[in-house]
Amino acid sequence: MGKTGVKEAARVKEPKKRKLLSESAFIRYFRDIGTAVSKGDAAVKLSMIIMGAGYVARKQVIKGILVTLVEALYILLLVVWAIPNLSKFSTLGTVQLQMVFDPATGKNVVNDYDNSFLILIFSIVALVLLAVFVLYYIHNLKAVYKIQLRAEQGRHINTFKEDLKSMVGDKFHITLLTLPSLGVILMNVLPLFVLVAIAFTNYDQQHMPPNALLDWVGFDNFKTLFSRGGLTVSFGYAFGKIVSWTFLWAFLATFTCFIGGILLAQLINSQGVKFKKMWRTLFIVTIAVPQFVTLLLVRNFFREDGIVNTLAANSGLIDFLKNIGLVKSSMNAIPFLSGRSVGWAKFMIVMINIWVGVPYQMLIATGVLMNAPQDQVESARIDGANKWQIFWKITMPYILVVQGPALITDFVRNINNFNVIYLLTQDLYTTQDMAMANSNAKEVDLLVTWLFRLTNEYYNYKMASVIGIIVFLICVAFTLVSYARMMRGGREEDYQL
Amino acid sequence: MSDTNVKETAEKKSSPKDIKVNTVEPKGMGVKKKRIVGAIVKNTVLAILAVIWLIPILWLFVSAFNVDPGINYAHFFPSKGWTFNNFIQLFHANSAVMYVRWFLNTLLIAFFSCIISTVFVLMVSYAFSCCRFEGRKGLMSLSMVINMFPGVLSMIAIYFIMKTIGLTESHVGMVVVYSAGSGLGYLIVKGFMDTIPASMREAAKMEGASELTVFLKVILPLCKPIVVYQIISSFLVPWGDFVFAKLMLGHDVKNFTIAIGLYGMLSKENLPRYFSQFCAGGILISIPISILFIIMQKYYVEGVTSGSTKG
Repeated sequence: MGKTGVKEAARVKEPKKRKLLSESAFIRYFRDIGTAVSKGDAAVKLSMIIMGAGYVARKQVIKGILVTLVEALYILLLVVWAIPNLSKFSTLGTVQLQMVFDPATGKNVVNDYDNSFLILIFSIVALVLLAVFVLYYIHNLKAVYKIQLRAEQGRHINTFKEDLKSMVGDKFHITLLTLPSLGVILMNVLPLFVLVAIAFTNYDQQHMPPNALLDWVGFDNFKTLFSRGGLTVSFGYAFGKIVSWTFLWAFLATFTCFIGGILLAQLINSQGVKFKKMWRTLFIVTIAVPQFVTLLLVRNFFREDGIVNTLAANSGLIDFLKNIGLVKSSMNAIPFLSGRSVGWAKFMIVMINIWVGVPYQMLIATGVLMNAPQDQVESARIDGANKWQIFWKITMPYILVVQGPALITDFVRNINNFNVIYLLTQDLYTTQDMAMANSNAKEVDLLVTWLFRLTNEYYNYKMASVIGIIVFLICVAFTLVSYARMMRGGREEDYQL
Repeated sequence: MSDTNVKETAEKKSSPKDIKVNTVEPKGMGVKKKRIVGAIVKNTVLAILAVIWLIPILWLFVSAFNVDPGINYAHFFPSKGWTFNNFIQLFHANSAVMYVRWFLNTLLIAFFSCIISTVFVLMVSYAFSCCRFEGRKGLMSLSMVINMFPGVLSMIAIYFIMKTIGLTESHVGMVVVYSAGSGLGYLIVKGFMDTIPASMREAAKMEGASELTVFLKVILPLCKPIVVYQIISSFLVPWGDFVFAKLMLGHDVKNFTIAIGLYGMLSKENLPRYFSQFCAGGILISIPISILFIIMQKYYVEGVTSGSTKG
């Protein structure tokens, strides 16, 4: 009891203090550097040049040697590789690829040209490495100074063995996070930087390294995207349409699958349903077949000349739909995904997505529901709450807390749900809107599929990068707002108590 | 089944209290009748839903046994007769279809990327959920932001980076692409770990356990269901992805994963010749996945119910 009381009190005070704290943490970071430099002894000062010196002076010889080795390796890398690339970063190279006559062999050979794209990538890698090194350098300086303080106070200084041991103890998070972070830097951070850089170049079909050089063009590509009209390509028009459909789609896809999954799980779990395991398995069978197989299958299932249309024609369903106006009378088939009716295509995509997504959500919701705290449900039942009240007032809030982060991830994943849209519509859906076609876009495209087509079929990397950045900003804004709201008041610990 | 057992015991526990309050205990025949009607309605709804969900799967199965190699536009069931030949054909490699090879390629990639991804996700989740260190929240928000950047958008950049390292047209490269950034997908597992009482970790630490021991011996066993979920989902990635595979693996049919291999079988030229084989191939890859699934599901249900001792 006492413990929770204290925690509560701390939580009340926290909001006021938090901002101050974060500011002072920021200032403290730099103040600590100053302190380390000014108050450090000779060994610490020597560490500014030979990074391991401070450790060696306190008898941490192995650590000292390792740290110095890292430093030496980095400097070597900087001189041999990073500086030559970085020096060309501002121009992205000046020597065009050419065939030159080599008098020694009497043949035409490729000259010593600049590959703009490699310069771009290597420079970014070098900058990231540089940033990492600067952070490490500062950290090292502070660490060396801390050891000096410990030595002065006569406190124990860890041996190398103890340092290693702390990596599974109070520094365990470093051990855990190092490898995943490296992977993330390679797969996510670097590509992101590369893409941002490309958005400011003229990288397109007319400018393809290594045959041509790239140039920086400033914000020109962004202007192209937001401009309306223009002679041949009106990106602005297509952009507006695709953004609104992307959001509508993401909302519908997330919402329907989430609710559908919970309802289905509740239905299977509810009293009176026999053979629960069998029902669950029947739905899970659809997950067992890989998504892209089912999507490619379903797309052929709903072709204009496909089996569903044949059956619909035979049973008179098409005539019925024509009568109530859902299918235009000029058509002889239901235009499920063909692009002759935008409404039908969008409807089908959402429905097929429900078919694909609900079993997954059902599986997850089943687990979450089983874990729901039963004592609250019990006491609510004793107080006379009915099943609906229990579901909406106790079960749903619990699901939302546990599933909330996943829901956001799902929404963002749906904004970028490449597979469903691409596999259902590629080579099948043809747009009737010339303005869309001019921008290489279709009404059912999400921003990502549009981007994919721009890169993969039209090599328009610069515009694709601009779209990529915008998608990214949208997703970040959305995530941060909802995530901050969810995390406010340290709710993550509510269930840890 | 163990989950129903838990519910029954919960009901038994509550019944003495119910008698005291006497509000929700079923009374007489009316309630019983209502229950039976409810059960019938529920089972019927489930049956209808199950049929809707299974029709395309059924179509996949019957098409796989079709004598006609192309797609059947007129009839749901094969009209020219049934055959097992489509499956046998898959094992006779030709220049267009190298099913066994694709299968093994994908299995290998899935195996390694599944291990790496699961380990990465668990490591990150534990660090964020159970360790308390300076900058934890900042790092969490940062990784959220980075995770918002979809791989599809940066695939060209990824392709060029992999090409620079020399990992294109190689399966090692595919494993790297599928698993290297997986640490960012920590949210779900961390959410699960957040529901484990901190007191369990503290008790173990009181007895002198290191963080590593707590992670491996205390937290991991409790996370079994969500670990299983993680394993399933990361194992499924290489089977379903074709964008990266198509981009990275080049044009050599030998190197294909099952996804791009099967995708190619449905191209405009191949559709009349290979549709039935595509269906057969689709069923065959489903087999290892479903076997895995059945094993996993057992663990899933067991894990979740054993997790109820947490509270």
